[in-house]
Amino acid sequence: MAKVFNWQLGRDIDYPYEARRPERQFAMIFDTNKCIACQTCTVACKTTWTSGRGQEYMYWNNVETKPYGYYPLGWDVNILDRHGVQPMDGPVYQGKTLFDAAPGGEVILGYLPEDIDYAHPNIGEDDSTGLMPRGAHLTLPHMQWMFYLPRICNHCTYPACLSACPRQSIYKRQEDGIVLLDQSRCRGYRECVKACPYKKVFFNTQTRVSEKCIGCYPAVEGGRQTQCTVTCIGKIRLQGFMHAPDKADPDNPLDYLVLVRKIGLPLYPQFGLEPNTYYIPPVHVPPAYLRQMFGWGVEAAIEAYRNAPNDRKLLGALTLFGATPEISHYFRVDGDTVIGYDSKQAEVVRVPIKEPVVIREVYDIKHKAFRTNIT
Amino acid sequence: MKRLAFLLALAVAAAAPGGPAAAQAPLVAARVAGHGPIVDPGAALWKSARPVKVAMLPQTVALPHKADAAVKEVSVRAVHNGGWIAFRLEWADASRSDRVILDNFGDQIAIQLPVDPKGGTPSPMMGNPGGRVNIMQWRAAFQKDIDDGHAPSIAELYPYAWTDVYPDELLGATDARAYTGALGVENPISRGRASPVLDQMAEGWGSMTVKPDQHALGRGVWTGGRWAVVITRPMVSDDANAPRLVAGDRTVIAFAAWEGGNREVGARKSWAPWMPLVIGAPAPRAKP
Repeated sequence: MAKVFNWQLGRDIDYPYEARRPERQFAMIFDTNKCIACQTCTVACKTTWTSGRGQEYMYWNNVETKPYGYYPLGWDVNILDRHGVQPMDGPVYQGKTLFDAAPGGEVILGYLPEDIDYAHPNIGEDDSTGLMPRGAHLTLPHMQWMFYLPRICNHCTYPACLSACPRQSIYKRQEDGIVLLDQSRCRGYRECVKACPYKKVFFNTQTRVSEKCIGCYPAVEGGRQTQCTVTCIGKIRLQGFMHAPDKADPDNPLDYLVLVRKIGLPLYPQFGLEPNTYYIPPVHVPPAYLRQMFGWGVEAAIEAYRNAPNDRKLLGALTLFGATPEISHYFRVDGDTVIGYDSKQAEVVRVPIKEPVVIREVYDIKHKAFRTNIT
Repeated sequence: MKRLAFLLALAVAAAAPGGPAAAQAPLVAARVAGHGPIVDPGAALWKSARPVKVAMLPQTVALPHKADAAVKEVSVRAVHNGGWIAFRLEWADASRSDRVILDNFGDQIAIQLPVDPKGGTPSPMMGNPGGRVNIMQWRAAFQKDIDDGHAPSIAELYPYAWTDVYPDELLGATDARAYTGALGVENPISRGRASPVLDQMAEGWGSMTVKPDQHALGRGVWTGGRWAVVITRPMVSDDANAPRLVAGDRTVIAFAAWEGGNREVGARKSWAPWMPLVIGAPAPRAKP
């Protein structure tokens, strides 16, 4: 085991390979407050990548309702239960990672789901934590709650799947940190399926090897954001690249949101993999739950997010979500406008932070017709 | 690094003259009549070969381990007809596992031979850098594919599955290749196979490679809670990554077994180190 630095945990962790951070890291931020679980992302991913034989059950992208939705069934509670209660206080994590918790003879603590666990991708959908008794009214955080959690492969800095493969069929690209599974090298041992705590590697019964989210690398190589991002009708996602914390660039929107403002938080950072998809936590959910899921930064993230209307640069970065199919490598707020730039500093998008309000009269004089509000 | 050091220590121990392999009673490949591949585990010719009981141990050196690996003993016989050498491996397995889905693993067995029998003996654990081995692995799932005439479709594995349309139904097989994952890149594990035995080479853990030329054949039959599997290959071929075996030669052989019902796969297996293998000479002709 090598000692590698995990910035999300504020300390070195044990990992089977030496640290070799990519030049830039594929990353994504989800604003959970805006997700409506329409599954347009899921379908976009499905029709793009997993429409073949043996991929029927695979959702490289899925959206589940928390706390009672899971795909596969119970994926997070199953590994959390095995992991045991860990202290969720920062800034230096004192608990065990999944590598620390590995039983004898294993690289990492994991479990292989049952085949049937994938049979209910929308289980728990829209289920709330309980009923609202008569007369109750919601305050923040809500006493009864649910929220939507969109998920893809985390393209971890220290991937569990990669560490568990006994024949190095999984690799992390130096140019963008995307984690890929070599389809010609894999022998279908399913060690990666067992090891990945997020359960984002899938076994294909027709090819008898495993497959995973490829971070839409053909699009990303061409400067475009992933399919799940560009098709999102709620504009809840921003995909791009981020740097290591010591090289954070406040003009890079992902660096700014994750590393500078810390409103995008990793999913289950205590597992130790340094996952690279980040979540703006839902403002209405009790912090104790969110702390287990996103770490000790949740209270501060929610506070900053709620103050965004008074925070020009933060609001500007949030306005870039869903604004363009291009990857914004840099951004700048200019008055009431946010401008996104590509890797060569050329402008790719310009969006008003506050959209102008247009009031349309009920009666359209030109067309001699009443307008009906159909929204 | 520790792993490598241990691997080398094992390799040295196995290669040492008079080491454990040399002291053991050898597996003798008896000369039998006939020509061509020997694939039938029920053939009468096996009676002419003396069975050797090989004790199998859980693999607990390379991660991951399966300390409770199920196969404890394999009964091995070997014969050759001058052109082909064959090994008949028989072991107890109460459950026949040949359906491979996420949480179902297949039964498998493998034999390992040094590619260069005259060189130093490679590590018994899949060889070592410079110490190349030829590993022939029979898989129950491949055997079932061959017996059925095809690999199981989604409809056969999941009778209630429903899909509106597949890319190959719209695009044709060639254009739909991009949607076929490992099949599209001709991963030998995925491909439809003519033989249930993978002819492979390795130079240490994680280096297993299915050879471009496949020479190994075989057949497995499960009856009454026992597998009987034959693995056969030409004694001499134009394959530089296979041993050349001639009557009278002495070499070594090692074994690995996986019980699918016990979720054994890859490194989670039982194995046996090198034991001596003697290629029997023809029986002297009786004087008239």
